[in-house]
Amino acid sequence: MAAEGAPATRSASGVERRPSAPRPPLNKRGSGSLLSQPASQSRYLWIRIALFEKQLAKIIEHLVNNANRYYERDALVADPDYGGILSSLLVGPCALEYSKAKAPACFWSDPPADELVQRHRMSAGTTTPPSVRRPILNFRRSLNASSDDTGSSNTATGNATGSSAKDYVESLHQNSRATLLYGKNNVRVQPKDVEEPMPGYLSLHQTAAGLIIKWTPNQLMNGYAEREGLDKSFRCHLVHASACQNKCILYSMTEICTVYRRRCAGPLCVDCVYWAMSLQVCAWEVVYVHVHRSQASDALILVGQDGVQRPPIQFPKGGHLLSFLSNFETGLLPHGQLDPPLWSQRGSGKVFGRGKTRRRPMPSLCESGETEEVDWEEAAGDYVFRIVNNAIADREAMRHSLLERAIQSPPRTPRRPLASTSTTSSDSSTMSVDYPHSVGFNIQPPLIPAQLPPVEVEQAASIELVCSTMRRQIISRAFYGWLAYCRHLSTVRTHLSGLVHPHIVPRDGAEAGLTEEIWRSMMDDEGVVTDKNEVYRLVYYGGIQHDIRREVWPYLLGYYEFGSTAEQRSSQDSACRRQYETTMSEWLCVEAIVRQRDREATAASIARLTEAAGKSKPTDVVESGEVFEDDCSVISDNPPIVSPEPCEKEQLKPENKPVLSRAPSIDEVDNIELDSEEKETDESKVNGETETGDSKDHVDIDSLTDIDDDEVYIKSVVENPDMRRESIAEIKRLAEGIVQKGDGRKLLCSVDSANMILNGNDFKSSIDENEKNPPQQHTSVIITNPSVDLAASGSPASGGTTANVSPSRSPLGVVREESQSAGASFDTLEPSIDARPENRSNCVSPASSNGGVYSNELVENFALNLHRIEKDVLRCDRNYPFFTDENLDKLRNIMCTYVWEHLDMGYMQGMCDLAAPLLVMMHEEAVAHALFARLMERAKDNFPSGQAMDAHFADMRSLIQILDCELYELMHAHGDYTHFYFCYRWFLLDFKRELLYQDVFSAWELIWAARYVASEHMVLFIALALLETYRDVILANTMDFTDIIKFFNEMAERHDASAVLSLARDLVLQVQTLIENK
Amino acid sequence: MASRKKVLLKVIILGDSGVGKTSLMNQFVNKKFTNQYKATIGADFLTKEVIVDDRIVTMQIWDTAGQERFQSLGVAFYRGADCCVLVFDVTAPNTFKSLESWRDEFLIQASPRDPDNFPFVILGNKVDLENRAVSAKRAQQWCQSKNDIPYFETSAKEAVNVELAFQTIARNALAQETEAELYNEFPDQIKLNANDNGRNRDGDNCAC
Repeated sequence: MAAEGAPATRSASGVERRPSAPRPPLNKRGSGSLLSQPASQSRYLWIRIALFEKQLAKIIEHLVNNANRYYERDALVADPDYGGILSSLLVGPCALEYSKAKAPACFWSDPPADELVQRHRMSAGTTTPPSVRRPILNFRRSLNASSDDTGSSNTATGNATGSSAKDYVESLHQNSRATLLYGKNNVRVQPKDVEEPMPGYLSLHQTAAGLIIKWTPNQLMNGYAEREGLDKSFRCHLVHASACQNKCILYSMTEICTVYRRRCAGPLCVDCVYWAMSLQVCAWEVVYVHVHRSQASDALILVGQDGVQRPPIQFPKGGHLLSFLSNFETGLLPHGQLDPPLWSQRGSGKVFGRGKTRRRPMPSLCESGETEEVDWEEAAGDYVFRIVNNAIADREAMRHSLLERAIQSPPRTPRRPLASTSTTSSDSSTMSVDYPHSVGFNIQPPLIPAQLPPVEVEQAASIELVCSTMRRQIISRAFYGWLAYCRHLSTVRTHLSGLVHPHIVPRDGAEAGLTEEIWRSMMDDEGVVTDKNEVYRLVYYGGIQHDIRREVWPYLLGYYEFGSTAEQRSSQDSACRRQYETTMSEWLCVEAIVRQRDREATAASIARLTEAAGKSKPTDVVESGEVFEDDCSVISDNPPIVSPEPCEKEQLKPENKPVLSRAPSIDEVDNIELDSEEKETDESKVNGETETGDSKDHVDIDSLTDIDDDEVYIKSVVENPDMRRESIAEIKRLAEGIVQKGDGRKLLCSVDSANMILNGNDFKSSIDENEKNPPQQHTSVIITNPSVDLAASGSPASGGTTANVSPSRSPLGVVREESQSAGASFDTLEPSIDARPENRSNCVSPASSNGGVYSNELVENFALNLHRIEKDVLRCDRNYPFFTDENLDKLRNIMCTYVWEHLDMGYMQGMCDLAAPLLVMMHEEAVAHALFARLMERAKDNFPSGQAMDAHFADMRSLIQILDCELYELMHAHGDYTHFYFCYRWFLLDFKRELLYQDVFSAWELIWAARYVASEHMVLFIALALLETYRDVILANTMDFTDIIKFFNEMAERHDASAVLSLARDLVLQVQTLIENK
Repeated sequence: MASRKKVLLKVIILGDSGVGKTSLMNQFVNKKFTNQYKATIGADFLTKEVIVDDRIVTMQIWDTAGQERFQSLGVAFYRGADCCVLVFDVTAPNTFKSLESWRDEFLIQASPRDPDNFPFVILGNKVDLENRAVSAKRAQQWCQSKNDIPYFETSAKEAVNVELAFQTIARNALAQETEAELYNEFPDQIKLNANDNGRNRDGDNCAC
């Protein structure tokens, strides 16, 4: 394509810039080049952009069609054929998406997580399970199995045959370990039990261990085809080798070694196939070399130190024997020689020592050898050479004390140190270090003989020395490595042992989890569940059946005691509910104050805004109710600012003066607004609400005077105002929803009017209550908001009975209602203002546990928290159908109550997420709150104020280091990784944002139960499991810190939770096993 | 082809919780608005390629948790930032007031080379709402007082000014990057007017 466009016209040169080619504008500007960005590059930029926008083909097409206007006649584009081809060729490239095209260098613009996971699935068809990939975990096993390994290598020899045979044949040629000194084909050897001498390949190798003579039958040289035969012979070798005491040592060595050792031993195997026939002799094992010359052929017989003869090697005529011998002698140098020398210095040339019957000199030869060769050839006779090692004295001086014994006692078969080591280790007599056998053996070159002939040479000795030193070094290194590793492991153990329980709880039959059936069967008649360990175990391994989660969760979180009766639990519930409502009534007071302040602040800022805008809106407001209405709805548009309306403010004013410090101008503004609001509400009030309000009052008061008993009271409340409130709340919620959308102003009014009655009504009743038993009411005494009074008085009464839904919701509802009722209750509230002074004096009394008037700091503190809570509650899981306004109110109440109880800690983002699943599960505020409080006992340390997060990161680090060193290496390489910030949200919210609700339930149960079953830090293992699930993706893309954050953020709520959780359990088990295997 | 590295601009978005940081980021990158965002926990980022003055740069936009308590976490993310975007909600005066502390905190934590000239951009978000409480003039004044920080009134919901604002952010960040590179060639500059800087910063680096 680029070549196509290359013929140099203007456009063609631009076409060359394919996206695949380096793109100049992408280059990081170098210090200088940046400023002087080549003009040509920016001139061509349009081509890139056009390509990005997929318009290039059209543009070129247009150019081609109008080439006569833009181009010269001879331009490519102007060419009637090529121009068209060019533009049509560009259609393809223009169909591609280039905005995603990335240069390989830019790691940060990696493809989205989805794509990465997809890619991985495609590319990694054969993924090994994680445990296999972790050598460290398997370390102990492999350590124990080292003996098994050697055994298995014995039994598995058949498999190794092919490769070792190949090795053997290849070893006949020059390689790194052996130098080929001499090679001759068709040398005949008559192995035992073979009638005819067979042709084969004779070679002479110089290796580190000395000279080696090999003869291989031609059948083997020609491709070693007969597999079965080979296998059989190998097996036979093994049998044979094990029969000889001296030779049974090197089982673990490679096959070829065994063959070789068998050869050294001399006698041949009975059923010889070719491998058995092959010959391999170390020169130092040979004492005498017999040469038998006849007319037909020259034969060479090697006689070992034990006097055993090797099968004769028959050389074809033609000086080959001589050539072999001379090479042999050269090979023996410098440490050995033939005695008598093959070539002796005699006069002009070397002389072939004439062999006597014993030491008969051989016929001399001239230097070239050719002339006298004939004589030599023709002269039949026998010659004997002895192989001497003439450097014993030198060697003795060098020799290590270890070896001395071997030298000084020649009768004993001197052994090479390697052989001795292997013998002793197999006897396990002298070597105390029980290092892994394989270390010692596998490094041995297979060609080293294990036994030394009595005639030893200097070369061998020095090599021995080197070898033994190396061997000891290797052993000691291996040992120290092992020792260091053990120490490391023990350190790790001490670190990790805190993470898991030492005792492994068996899984048997717990896969199904805690089903309803099991749960019922565990419960006795009184509803007592005692076998908590079994419950934990079942939950840990199998989770809880969804239907009974609501019953079991309180146990798991420690809210219910195991062993408690149903009765105890229900009384616990009602106590909890009472407590909850009391606390709520406390903060609701403060909330009222906060709302009022907000209102003022907003009014102030709006006033300032309007002032700044040059409009005198306040006057407008005073003038017309319509405008006010608008204004009001604007305020309630923004939920946090929805606040108590002026009616409360009016009441609050005298009271809150010390607390509030406002600029007088704002006050003025407020007053103006208030006035207007009052007017407005007065007007609406006239609409006959007063009568209904009065009649309602009547009913309430009646019922109240009748009873001191809670239940009757409740009945009346439930029957009358509450039911109404229910419906009103319904309408209001609807209206609010519309108002929040910003287009329900009219509706608002009607709701307001409805609320007015209710508020006035309720207030009356609560005032009555107040008067009746002041001490009970002291908490709400300072409360300036009548609706709050209602809550306080209503809720204890309803505690533990059926009507518990309304008290929890209604206070908030009323607050909201009030906020919109624009002073409707103002009139009816008149008496309350009378009552206030008394109440106030009451609250100052020591009886008030809350200290009466709240300090400014406290109010401000709570206000801050309140606003945050509201912001977050609104945003919490609003895509879940469960979170209707009603349930969001509940969530808000839970949050506020908890924060009120923990004002020093305050609200922190994330608490909502933690409480939401509890509320979803429990439905009931009070219990959800109690569970949340218990959950927070652990979770609060994860928040920035606690230290647990750092500890988690450190633990994660250790765990990864131990369980997945490959991943650890990657993380270590990117220093940032050690911070593990990508797990931050995981730990903070217990994976609530990572998983779907259904899975969050399972994950949380697992975490709670694991505490008693396997690990108090189950979150770590779940995190690890998540990481391990995607480890290959992470490794394959060498993701760094930021990549991983992005990856997991994109993968949120899309994990295969059950797989992750079961992997997490497996990981716990792995660590437990690791620690157990001390 | 001297250097193959692409330009990466790191942009941090800061501001009180609920002012619309996540929404702004998503409006800019994905051209979408939803009212389904949850409170950001931890940190997230999105990348987008933009063309600034004929150059293609990648913006890496970091969205952070709004609650100031989580800022200790943010330090790791602040480092190497090329531009800092401060967002407030025009309907909530408090979010405007806290801009100052966000700015100071960022300068302390990120410790940029030249704090006085580090590029900030202020966004007054949610202008689509009617109950506005911070006037444009007031915001503008504050921005001018802070070394003429660019100020935009945006609406992530209705995509008002978002593109424009981020173009400016990218441009300023790029300028910053360039400058940083020039500095790299001459490390350890000694600023003769260092004292003045210290005073101007009025307690940015107070000993705490």
